Amino acid sequence: MKKNDESKSIKIDETKYSMDTQIIYGKNISKKWDYSHHVTAPISSSTTFRLDSVERGAQGFQQFANTEQFGESSPIFIYDRLGEPNKDLLEENLAYVEKGEMALTFATGMGAISAVLGVLTSAGDEIICHNTLYGCTISLFDNWYPKYNIKVHYIDLTDTENIRELVNENTRVIYFESPANPNLDIIDIKSVAKLVAGLNSGREVNRKISVVIDNTFSTPFCQRPIELGADFVVHSLTKGIGGFGTDMGGAVIGKKKYKDLLLLYRKDFGAVLNPKSAWGILTYGLPSLSLRQRQQTNTAMRIADYLSGHPKVEYVNYPGLKSYKFYDIAKTQMIDFDGNFAPGSMIYFSLKGKTPAECKENGRKFMDYIAGSVYTMTLAVSLGHTRTLIEHPASMTHSVVPPEQLKDRGLDPGGVRLSIGLENPDDLLMDLEEALQNINS
Amino acid sequence: MGFSTDAIHAGQEPERATGALITPIFMTTTYAQEELGINKGYEYGRRDNLTRAALEKNIAVLENGKYGIAFSSGLAAISAVIHLVKAGEHVIVTDNVYGGTYRLFEKIMTGFNLQFSWVDVSSLENVSSAIKENTRMVYIETPSNPTLNITDIRSTAELCKKNNLICAVDNTFMSPYFQKPLNMNADIVVHSSTKYLNGHSDVIGGIVITNDKDTNKKLKFIQNAVGAVPSPFDCWLTLRSTKTLALRMKQHNENAVQIADFLKNQNYVKHVYYPGLKSHPGYELAKKQMTGFGGIISVDFGEEETARRFIKKCKIFTLAESLGGVESLMSHPATMSHASVPPERREKMGITNSLIRLSVGIEDIEDLLGDIDQAVQ
Ligand SMILES: Cc1ncc(COP(=O)(O)O)c(C=O)c1O
Ligand SMILES: Cc1ncc(COP(=O)(O)O)c(C=O)c1O
Repeated sequence: MKKNDESKSIKIDETKYSMDTQIIYGKNISKKWDYSHHVTAPISSSTTFRLDSVERGAQGFQQFANTEQFGESSPIFIYDRLGEPNKDLLEENLAYVEKGEMALTFATGMGAISAVLGVLTSAGDEIICHNTLYGCTISLFDNWYPKYNIKVHYIDLTDTENIRELVNENTRVIYFESPANPNLDIIDIKSVAKLVAGLNSGREVNRKISVVIDNTFSTPFCQRPIELGADFVVHSLTKGIGGFGTDMGGAVIGKKKYKDLLLLYRKDFGAVLNPKSAWGILTYGLPSLSLRQRQQTNTAMRIADYLSGHPKVEYVNYPGLKSYKFYDIAKTQMIDFDGNFAPGSMIYFSLKGKTPAECKENGRKFMDYIAGSVYTMTLAVSLGHTRTLIEHPASMTHSVVPPEQLKDRGLDPGGVRLSIGLENPDDLLMDLEEALQNINS
Repeated sequence: MGFSTDAIHAGQEPERATGALITPIFMTTTYAQEELGINKGYEYGRRDNLTRAALEKNIAVLENGKYGIAFSSGLAAISAVIHLVKAGEHVIVTDNVYGGTYRLFEKIMTGFNLQFSWVDVSSLENVSSAIKENTRMVYIETPSNPTLNITDIRSTAELCKKNNLICAVDNTFMSPYFQKPLNMNADIVVHSSTKYLNGHSDVIGGIVITNDKDTNKKLKFIQNAVGAVPSPFDCWLTLRSTKTLALRMKQHNENAVQIADFLKNQNYVKHVYYPGLKSHPGYELAKKQMTGFGGIISVDFGEEETARRFIKKCKIFTLAESLGGVESLMSHPATMSHASVPPERREKMGITNSLIRLSVGIEDIEDLLGDIDQAVQ
């Protein structure tokens, strides 16, 4: 049997292919690992790696997190927490798909968020963020950052100009989600990036402001913030990218020059992604992202339409609805790989009631009915799942926010969050109708 | 190399590309071919998988064999072995073989015109006189399930050599740690790796080991052609398990010896089957061909009522099929593992309704004895 070491495929320029294709192939074919022979990559499952000699061990440690100096063509694997092939394979593909220079994975979305902010800020620095954020991100900012003397300002970023009022020389990061979790506020990414570029023009390198976006709700299929001028994208891979609800994961995607710092941070704080989880996301999560997200977006559009016309529904926030206040801006930035408007798979709405308390009570009845009597929807936190998930942010994902602060964080006490799955849309509509019939308002 | 050293190293050289110390789970169904007719020796996942190959090599070495061929269950392994016999040929089988093996041979293979004689192989004369013109194989299981009869592997293998028969041994109960049939000139060893080899009650699997090049070739062919292959993930889990096989077997044995000793003196017990008891008819032979007595004990309570009460009241021993896991299990052979054996045959084999088989786990012995004690109070 002839052994062919010079894999001819190494010279292929994958960037000329469509993204749907690239996320299937990635760089399984690389000089970094010889898995070219395996059509599906092996699951790497070794905590430690054999080193040929002490010298090579020393070399490995010297090269680790020193990609600027040594490049990254042939890493010496040392220990899983420092790096191993499954994560590297996934990171390459994530960088492609988000159009970033590099990606680094973490154990969870929160692992990724705390890491990117950890390398960008020091004591005394400030972060400006949008009023509405995922609950645990709020918890990170409110419960921990005071301890590190990092100041966080919540403002309404749907009006970009508001940044000017709070920005000062200590500002290091503008942080937001778009669409925001859970109310789906949309922030004009290009306009934020442009404003920040202006602010940065006079600043020293180490005092520059970075724009960091949590793109979990959109997934790269619906929106690629780096193309719009963002510096960093973070993801909870647990959600739409992983897609099947089987594994936790997170990622930071951005400029190459931050890779070494992030590698060091990950090594020392320890939120590394399990290789078996990385393998799943690499093997079935990312390659099916387009199919799933396209289907979920189409269904979400139908459901949002239906809900917005329903007499028992007070309002529906969904970026694809013409009636939604952020429709115009969503249309310019939520664009799929083929250039079509892709408003995503998340819907936020509230039921009618004579008082806010009654709205909330109707929402509770509605969700409890679904939890107890309906086949196609599951009362559960998380999102971007094969199953349609429904939840009540004020008492679940965002329970960290005290009732008196709900309004400041853009949360409706009666708001319902719906994450559309892969079910037949007719079945979802049937079950929603049944559940809505069963509340008597 | 010593057993534990082999268990930890054999077949498990660090992965070449990355140095990964633990064999990766090679999850691929197919392999990229470089040109027509040129590949790296791997073509398709049913025929070859690197994680499976590591497991096969590992267990082969533990059995002191040259070749290992892994399957998706113990019965798939046994059925591959019986595929070595052709229509019209005859096989002599231990009469108290595992019930599933009995079912496979008697209910399925006879339909392909294979003939079986069910013989008490613990007497060599019985085997001798069962040999016919068309006999091709002698299939034994020692100790046997569930009454733990011991068959003399060496003399059976010798008889087979003389008559040009294949000598196959199911070594599931002892594992290679306590018994190596190939060292006693058997031709083929089969395992339900579901049991002690994997040992954690989380993988169904089987493996065949042989020293004969030709037999290996045939079995590899059957493995690929019939297709009952184990998944790479299952192979990886089993590889994890063989590393502690020696530790586990020692503890299973130690616990079982104490429990058998305890039970034999209780007046509510009619009979204890355990090869480590001097009263066991196979005790001397067991000492000769095994280096331990294993973790399986069968207890006849004399009365079905007592047996049922025992099952009901045990808290640590769980009523469940299977054996060889780290946790203690008990089973009722008459209605479970041997339900497919006709009642007359069961009675003859000693499988009464009051018989309980214990698979002694590696829990603390005080707790196991305490559990048994409270169950019979
Ligand atoms: C927008 C957003 N960002 C981050 C996270 C946190 O991700 P993980 O749970 O993977 O840490 C979540 C989780 O719900 C989320 O919805
Ligand atoms: C001695 C023996 N051989 C073979 C088997 C069959 O193995 P499997 O269940 O893995 O097919 C068993 C299972 O109980 C057994 O006890």
